[in-house]
Amino acid sequence: MTESLNVTVDRREGLAVVYTEGYINNQGGEEIARVAYKLLDEGYKVLLLNLAGTKIVNSIGISILIEIIEKMIEIGGRLGFCCLTPTIEKTFHIMGLAQYARIFPDEPAAVAGLQS
Amino acid sequence: MSPLPSPASSPSAIDGAPSGRTWEELSALARDEANDRPFLTRLLELWAAAHGAQAAALYLESGSLLELEVGAGDRDFPDEINSASPPAGLAVLPLPGGALVVAPPSAAAADEPLTLLLTAAARGSLLKRRLKEQHFQVNYRGVELEALYDVGLAVAATLDLEPLSEEILLRAVSLLDARRGALYLLEGNRYRAARTFGGEAGPEFALDAPALAAFLVDTSGGAEPPPDLLPGARHVLAVAIAIESSPRGFLAVGDKESRRGVGPFPAGDRRTLGLFANQAAIALENARLHRQALEKERLERELTLAAEIQRQILPKGAPAVAGYRLVGWNRPARQVGGDYYDLLPREDGRVSLVVGDVTGKGMPAALMVSTLHSALRLLLDRTGLGPAFLERLNSHILESSAANKFITLFLAELEPATGTLHYLNAGHNPALLLRRSGAVEELGSSGVPIGLLPGSRYQKKTVELGPGDLLCLYSDGITECASPAEEEFGMQRLVKLLAELRDRPLQDVLDAIADATVEFAAGAPQLDDETVVLLRRDG
Repeated sequence: MTESLNVTVDRREGLAVVYTEGYINNQGGEEIARVAYKLLDEGYKVLLLNLAGTKIVNSIGISILIEIIEKMIEIGGRLGFCCLTPTIEKTFHIMGLAQYARIFPDEPAAVAGLQS
Repeated sequence: MSPLPSPASSPSAIDGAPSGRTWEELSALARDEANDRPFLTRLLELWAAAHGAQAAALYLESGSLLELEVGAGDRDFPDEINSASPPAGLAVLPLPGGALVVAPPSAAAADEPLTLLLTAAARGSLLKRRLKEQHFQVNYRGVELEALYDVGLAVAATLDLEPLSEEILLRAVSLLDARRGALYLLEGNRYRAARTFGGEAGPEFALDAPALAAFLVDTSGGAEPPPDLLPGARHVLAVAIAIESSPRGFLAVGDKESRRGVGPFPAGDRRTLGLFANQAAIALENARLHRQALEKERLERELTLAAEIQRQILPKGAPAVAGYRLVGWNRPARQVGGDYYDLLPREDGRVSLVVGDVTGKGMPAALMVSTLHSALRLLLDRTGLGPAFLERLNSHILESSAANKFITLFLAELEPATGTLHYLNAGHNPALLLRRSGAVEELGSSGVPIGLLPGSRYQKKTVELGPGDLLCLYSDGITECASPAEEEFGMQRLVKLLAELRDRPLQDVLDAIADATVEFAAGAPQLDDETVVLLRRDG
């Protein structure tokens, strides 16, 4: 297990996939936000957060993800999540993230769903 | 931030009231309920232009600080400021629930419609933010409840402590917004780290380590954690994992996160962590009970096997001896017993009769019975019945058994043709010889039990069995069989029964003895193994 979150990005045509590995807490959330806002500045309006490498997220991390979702709504973009653990998926539903961002079981389904 | 619009684009702002067109624009922006920033930004732009500010920002209260909500003008504003000490070059104009921060500092707010509108909008935005925060907290309580429910389900669904430990630790760390954590389990008299998260943790602690013990029971927050518990953590919270006040481990988390860094855990977090510790305790207890059940099952299987082996050791029937009737019977108090009997026809026509009683009951006694059986068969073939035989058997049992284990033994050898019976009694109950005349003789002990003392000596004795004489060998489980009133069955009742039934088929006599002891016990549990061997010379 690692304390810090590693974030990598795969820029594709009309969509960027952000991969996370580690704890989405304050530091991890800020790093995701930094990467996401940079992608928005680059012109990407469709973002996919692939959380396959993340097993744990806390309330600070969730609040930052909500801010990213709000930002996406503000600019008329779309954000999706994929590859969530059952625990994180349940948390996102309870916290209302699923109302404003789509959740997909895997990356191919997410890419297809977000680009349709 | 975008440059402020020129006053010309908002002419009516000069006298403080939005023009009709500007009003329509603001009204349109205000209709967006999901996002009020564009409305606030536009309003701020108008306000700044109307008040001669180069740039302005609206800050809303967030704890003891002011947090940037929107800004306007060609200048970046800090995300947070302290109203008591604003950054240089800026003026802070207080509003209810927030503040306007303007540059240059000479700009000032005025009681005119735009300022009032901005104040109301800021107030509404602040209320919305607080509502959102409360909504978030309520939802997060739901996440906590779900987490405890899920952990409860996981605890009920598996007995594997490895994944459960991880589940419990990760849930505790995330729900308490901790950066780090560790779960320790008690092994012997040491707590060992079973799972860690987010950094290094001390590998083990002594159960009675004073600093740890004090820290685990401290609810005031005054006690310091052991320095090597979560090294480098500035704030640590730990609670014991215990079952009925008996320690089984502890759960520790470190450094409570907020958007501004890390801080101490509030008092309520101890309760939440305690709930996870309780789940861990239940999981540990379940696993222990499961191991215990498996062990019991294994022991029962072994006992069943041992009982089967013992059944194989005991005679399956009595040898036919011309001119005599011979039967034997055994009823162990438990699955396996410490009583032993054997009926051995010898090559020369003689018949050996053996009844033995190992101290204790159950598996240890059964193992000694097995040893006795093997040794007895081997020695009897080599030595023949006599004092030397018992003395060698005594040495063998003494060497191969625990110090507090010994065996009482009655050995007899019948010469069927003559009715001569040689016997040795090593501390066993006296055998009963019921003569046809009605006289009863006791064939008492001629030495101490075997396996008790080294160098024990024994004496062979001889009696003659006449026609109709009945010999009864038995273990103390018969005579010491107790009634609910704790009265013993005793030798007299046995003698009376034998006397009454002496001419009946021997199997009937055995059955009568077995029934008599059950009836006498009147439902009281059988405390000792019961064994009877009967030999009668045909009359």
